[in-house]
Amino acid sequence: MPDDVVKLAFSAGTLVLEGVSRQGLADIFGEGGWVWDRRVEAWRCDAIAYAAASDRLRQSGSRWLDGVPAWQPVRWPRLALHPLREEQQAAVAAWTAARHGTVVMPTGTGKTEVALAIMAQTALATLVVAPVRDLMYQWQRRILDGLGYDAGIIGDNVFNVHPVSVTTYDSACIHMERLGNRFGLVVFDECHHLPGAIRRDAARMSAAPMRLGLTATLQRSDGRHADLAELIGPTLFEMPVSAAAGRSLADYHVVRIPVHLSAEEESRYRELSRQLRDYMVDRRKTDPHYDWEDLCAESGKTPEARRAMRAYFAKKAIEDRAEEKLRVLEDLFQLHVGEPCLVFAGSNAMARDVSRRFLVPCLLSHCGKKERLDVLRGLEDGTYPALVANRVLDEGVDLPEVKVAVVLGGTASSRQAKQRLGRVLRKSGNAKAVLYEVVSAGTNEEKRSRQRRKSDAYQGTRHRRL
Amino acid sequence: MLTREHAIADYEGGKVLPDRLTRLAHAHYVRYAERMLRIYRLGVGQTRRELHRAVAHVFAAEDDCPARRIEAFTKLLDDKSEYERDRRGKAAALRRKVFRLAASRHPLVRRGERLFGRPEAEVKSEIAARLERAWDEIDGELFADVIEFQRLARFEGYADGPALLARYNVAQVQAALFDAESMTVWAGGDFKTILRYAKLARLMHTITRRGQGQYVFRFDGPASVLRATRRYGAAMARFLPALLACRDWRMHALVRVRRRGWAASLDLSSNDGLTSHLPPPEEFDSAVEASFVAKWGPEPREGWRLVREGEVLFSRQKVFVPDFVFRHEDGCSVLMEIVGFWTPEYLEAKAATLREFRDHRILLAVARPAQSAGHPVYLPDGPAAMPELPAETIPYRTALRIKDVLERLGQRRG
Repeated sequence: MPDDVVKLAFSAGTLVLEGVSRQGLADIFGEGGWVWDRRVEAWRCDAIAYAAASDRLRQSGSRWLDGVPAWQPVRWPRLALHPLREEQQAAVAAWTAARHGTVVMPTGTGKTEVALAIMAQTALATLVVAPVRDLMYQWQRRILDGLGYDAGIIGDNVFNVHPVSVTTYDSACIHMERLGNRFGLVVFDECHHLPGAIRRDAARMSAAPMRLGLTATLQRSDGRHADLAELIGPTLFEMPVSAAAGRSLADYHVVRIPVHLSAEEESRYRELSRQLRDYMVDRRKTDPHYDWEDLCAESGKTPEARRAMRAYFAKKAIEDRAEEKLRVLEDLFQLHVGEPCLVFAGSNAMARDVSRRFLVPCLLSHCGKKERLDVLRGLEDGTYPALVANRVLDEGVDLPEVKVAVVLGGTASSRQAKQRLGRVLRKSGNAKAVLYEVVSAGTNEEKRSRQRRKSDAYQGTRHRRL
Repeated sequence: MLTREHAIADYEGGKVLPDRLTRLAHAHYVRYAERMLRIYRLGVGQTRRELHRAVAHVFAAEDDCPARRIEAFTKLLDDKSEYERDRRGKAAALRRKVFRLAASRHPLVRRGERLFGRPEAEVKSEIAARLERAWDEIDGELFADVIEFQRLARFEGYADGPALLARYNVAQVQAALFDAESMTVWAGGDFKTILRYAKLARLMHTITRRGQGQYVFRFDGPASVLRATRRYGAAMARFLPALLACRDWRMHALVRVRRRGWAASLDLSSNDGLTSHLPPPEEFDSAVEASFVAKWGPEPREGWRLVREGEVLFSRQKVFVPDFVFRHEDGCSVLMEIVGFWTPEYLEAKAATLREFRDHRILLAVARPAQSAGHPVYLPDGPAAMPELPAETIPYRTALRIKDVLERLGQRRG
């Protein structure tokens, strides 16, 4: 097809190359990459290959039409960025040299500022992808404050695409097939979320040649963090937690408080555990690999499996909502009267229970933008003495300086622990921060707490028992 | 539609069998369905949680009902419901007021003799007094905007119990399709509807002709050629009701069973008795077509048999299903498209389609619009009005005459 015009186009999250023969393709691109799509009679590959593909086409010297980039330069209406600290400058410099890759910085060391500085200098249509809606709104606010730009929102039932927009991973992987050629720079916040089976489409379906990944930890329990190199780029800069502590972060204690279930809760807990155990033991006689997923699948079929499943959830509910935890919380509130206090409840129901019991605001998914702001600012300026959240604040949500945090429940992985800690341990003079973990004694929750403490984020901290 | 969390399916011998309530095995479910409908019909003003609990209660004595099935029913009922939304942020405003009043008394303690803090009950009754309401009332409204506490405002509903069960059965097939990587449809008719709805669902097609009036459509998405992906499963699920409304087809979908990683097949046909909530495709696009078919009759004329939408023309992702195909007993066939009411833009688009498929013999029957005052009238035979049409046209005024058509067919053969 030598007479045909060579055309490269963006098509629903992929690149389509027309007017190139098989031989021509091999000459320009070498082996691999492109697949012949007879449905459209053209070559196709993932949009992520755009940077490499356009380079090869340019080098080939052949005439070609580039229909891919629909992104434009952006003028920032009002730059008002804080001067960067030394390690932040190093992070920006490392990224600028490569233009795609990941920056690893512990929570609380100003990842957002690094990203804003990069956005400011790149001045190109940018999409910021955040893990949850709260963070999406927070990015929108930070972009407005720092760059004077009112970014569009894609997600939370809004589809408002501007040259600079913010979104969540879930929305990004759905919409990237339509948006993939509209942003030259994509920022993946808390980018360890990206390598999920479907979520990775948020990176794969984007043609953006510039990519910035931000995270406090590259670890994933499924080992997929290795894929980040392919989806975003190499790790360009890494600041270890220990380097951050004592400099940007305060020192902290971790205090574990085992609580005991009420006699009634305990006997119910034991009974439920027994039911579940008996069932599992029974099933494993015939199927040694019988596990939780099998139980879920089977609960649709047999009443016994259904009962076992109900027992599991009832057990969890007891762990989460132990009355005693509310009593411990009362003590902790009294102990820290006058200090803003942050409570992670582990479930929406528990968060509401805490809120109704102590009449302190809670941040849950139903809270609107305005309420969130009121609550967060209110905790900062002392209007509210405490704030309770489920897990909405798990990652990166900007919190006022808090030196007391209480974890009432929730499951542990080392990443979550790091981030929660990072949140509590804001730099604030010489005062030491305390993280209380209130766990039900003799339950699975206690096991999870031990597991949590093995994570390196806890190294160098002191553990006390009350 | 349901979500993945509601999906119930069995996997047997490499096949996916979505949960299905049948007249035989689940006759008593009609009663349950009627009861559920009654709960929602009489449930205006109740909270979502109350309604869901009431629905769960319907199945309290039923051993053959997994929790997911109950949740699926409530989802389908909620899909047809409108809940009051706290648009003006009443609950949020109340929270703000209460939490601010309570802030100076923090922490609220159970007993009053502690050094710090104020007794919970005392503070709450003080706040109640300040707001001039009972505390229980305040407590009840504090989280009225939480989804579980929203109140039912309207229930559009399903016609009757069987209609709800029918919807459930379809919804479970859709839920199974969420994990589909590709879908293949063998069709003996209604090609236009099938292809149109697949396109609306943004699926891509690969078409194979399998003899006269038989086509195989394979549906997937752009990235499917790069890797097997479940990305387009939701689109296939959206497309399913349109397929169910068609006649004479069978469908096979390749479903990736998530946790096991292996593929299973989901097979379905127009004989499986699943009913769509969509009406069957319209028999004819216009009265002109209907009257032409009626006049022609079932028998061949001069050796030509008339078949409606019998051929699919395709090139890359463009598809054209002409209204009729005339098949001669000697094996020759001619296509005909009828254009009733038209605008120049419409005709231009039609011309583009015909150019795309110029290798095929296509007759175009075009209406001459009547003169009408005040509107620009484009006469098909007027010099400037008619776009260049890359097909042989048969103009007609009110009805297409068989004589005119047969004459052209005769010329065509020669």
